[in-house]
Amino acid sequence: MNAFWLKITSNRFYKRLLKEPFTYVTGAVLLAVFAIAHLAVFSKGWGVTSAFADWGAWMYKLVGGNVDNWAYFSSEKAQKTLSGGFMNDGGSIRNLGIILGAFLATLFASEFKLKKIKSKKQIVAAALGGLLMGYGARLANGCNIGALFTSISSLSLSGWIFWLFLFGGAFIGSKLLAKYFM
Amino acid sequence: MAEFTLDCLGEACPVPLMRTEKKMAELSVGDVLVVSIDHSCAMKNVPEWARKQGHNVEIEEIDDGEWEVVIEKTK
Repeated sequence: MNAFWLKITSNRFYKRLLKEPFTYVTGAVLLAVFAIAHLAVFSKGWGVTSAFADWGAWMYKLVGGNVDNWAYFSSEKAQKTLSGGFMNDGGSIRNLGIILGAFLATLFASEFKLKKIKSKKQIVAAALGGLLMGYGARLANGCNIGALFTSISSLSLSGWIFWLFLFGGAFIGSKLLAKYFM
Repeated sequence: MAEFTLDCLGEACPVPLMRTEKKMAELSVGDVLVVSIDHSCAMKNVPEWARKQGHNVEIEEIDDGEWEVVIEKTK
């Protein structure tokens, strides 16, 4: 049985398709094709983080909170998504697909591993970084997908402005990283 | 001809690469550095950087999602 798996994992097609990362060009072409398909199916561009805000609202509701009066959720469209529930929200299903797909890809490549947490610093940095990214994505009305990838491919100037500030943030972030993590 | 190890298990990009660059600067020519990595994108950018510098690089897959990158300093 072991020999069977060894044979599969040394097969060149297995290596090309499941083990090794795609080239940048392959990735770019696939992204373009899927972005067009997304536009055709949803009639709007690809975004990721808006659905996360809805997930937060649903979780807040679970513990008895109410977001109906929040400016962010006050529009008719947002209210409709919230009352429709998770299973009726295409964006939520799509995000679930991204998470499941990433998980399957690591499994197929046989690279799944539960990683240990190295230090308390990592926990603080991850929590702080996650909160800032989520907060920033809502202020900017999108992340590197909705506000960058989709905007630029729709020839919107806002995508390029986002890109400039993304560089600024990454520059500051890497300075902090070198200072506190090296 | 000493051998050094660098434990980057549990560290995400770009920390393994930054630590490898720093450690390689301390080594003398002919020394070997073994970097332990469990982050698949670091497994790409660490060998790529080392090869660009002209060092000899070998990658060994130790376990599922765990690699050892062996770098021999050449200059």
